[in-house]
Amino acid sequence: MKPAPTQVLEVLALSLMADVAAHIDDDYQRSALQISAALLLGAREEFDRAAARRVDENRALRELFTAARPVVEDEPLRTRLVEAAATVDTTLLVPDLEHANAELRALLIDLHIHVETLSGDAAHALDTAIWRELRVSTDRRRLSLAVF
Amino acid sequence: MELQDRLAAYARRRLDAAAAVTVGGLQRIHGGASRETFRFVLRYRQAGREVERRLILRRDPAGSLIETDRAVEFAAYAAFHGTAVPVPEPLWLEEDAHHLDHPFFIMEELVGGEASPLKLFEPPFGDHLERIGHRKWTILGEIARRDTSGIDAMAPITADGAWRRELARWEGVIDEDQLEPQPIIRAVIRWLRRNPPPPAQRISVVHGDYRTGNFLVTTEGNILGILDWEMAHLGDPLEDLAWSINRVWNWARDDRAGGLLPRSDAIRIWEDSSGLRAAPEALHWWELFSCVKGQGIWVSAARAYHDGRNLDPIMAIPSWMQGNSQDRAALELLGHLR
Repeated sequence: MKPAPTQVLEVLALSLMADVAAHIDDDYQRSALQISAALLLGAREEFDRAAARRVDENRALRELFTAARPVVEDEPLRTRLVEAAATVDTTLLVPDLEHANAELRALLIDLHIHVETLSGDAAHALDTAIWRELRVSTDRRRLSLAVF
Repeated sequence: MELQDRLAAYARRRLDAAAAVTVGGLQRIHGGASRETFRFVLRYRQAGREVERRLILRRDPAGSLIETDRAVEFAAYAAFHGTAVPVPEPLWLEEDAHHLDHPFFIMEELVGGEASPLKLFEPPFGDHLERIGHRKWTILGEIARRDTSGIDAMAPITADGAWRRELARWEGVIDEDQLEPQPIIRAVIRWLRRNPPPPAQRISVVHGDYRTGNFLVTTEGNILGILDWEMAHLGDPLEDLAWSINRVWNWARDDRAGGLLPRSDAIRIWEDSSGLRAAPEALHWWELFSCVKGQGIWVSAARAYHDGRNLDPIMAIPSWMQGNSQDRAALELLGHLR
């Protein structure tokens, strides 16, 4: 698709901010337009990475679940982890990847809750690995326009 | 009938001794995302005198960033009007929806101030950031000082109940409105329950959204008025202090709280003004809680947009821009960001 959607979104956003907004007298409409332009810039940044970051994260979560299996003491949870670790992303369509991601992140919450009840070095290491993955998850989602 | 005409008809009822009541210049503005906000000019003749007042209409919308009680917001303005905490004068609270389709209230417009946080870093405001910051946290201390008696619209709370109620409230908002799992904020909520804070030193009015962007600043660096009291309630004053220094409000993209002052200076100014102490452990609890509350607001906005109840772009952008920042702020507070 040429010109690249990222270029089109960026040009549109900057045009709305710099050219169009300056000609709108109504404060509310001008503000809404500027916010809309910022959203276009966010969509532009997400466009290229959308599938990649979800694939990366789903893979990382499945690997984490595999590593967690020997530490987990709750049998039903261990079964769910094994099943989730065995899943694969069969398409690169973003809604499908997103759906899988939501299921994996929900399971991550259950795993985290369980790990918090455990003691010992292995549990501590797993807890550390979960927090590391959570930190990386925010790196994957970060937008340039966000303050932090 | 157009909104402007209906507003004039309402004003005529309220100003029964006035004549020639008209409304002009009605214009919608962005002013807090939980109500529709309009500015307008009310003109009338009373006791042989021509009166012109610039006013603000705050009307409930169909879907909002957060569901709040207009009577509480009105009561907050009434509680502080004429005190050391500058606020616009609240005029009329109307719960009957038939006048303007939704309940609303009307207050004075404070003219000549800038609220946009991004504009504060440009001339002429940018030269006064320290002064603005000093006023910001001094006023917040004054809010904490106010006697809460007589503010009947705000539900009472005990010193040990404040944190429980607020945490339950915002956890409930996330339960109801989240569109995707929130593993970081869920972990924070568990941490907060395992490590409860000490009871509040004092039960105060909590503004609820005290941050750079919710007050009007003059070109000389004075604060003209504190706005957006839509989340006001009685509670632990540390809640406001913690919210005011949350990372997501560091608009200058550095370590200055609210883009204005070093965090330690903000806390010291607040302590001097309020007469209270911000014990590090207690403040840490409330800072983490701020991340839960923030995420609650962002997921609520995303839900309203997702469901089509409110398609204003201001409902879409917080989840995109603030949601991840809020998670990162929580990770930093827990020592997991690096």
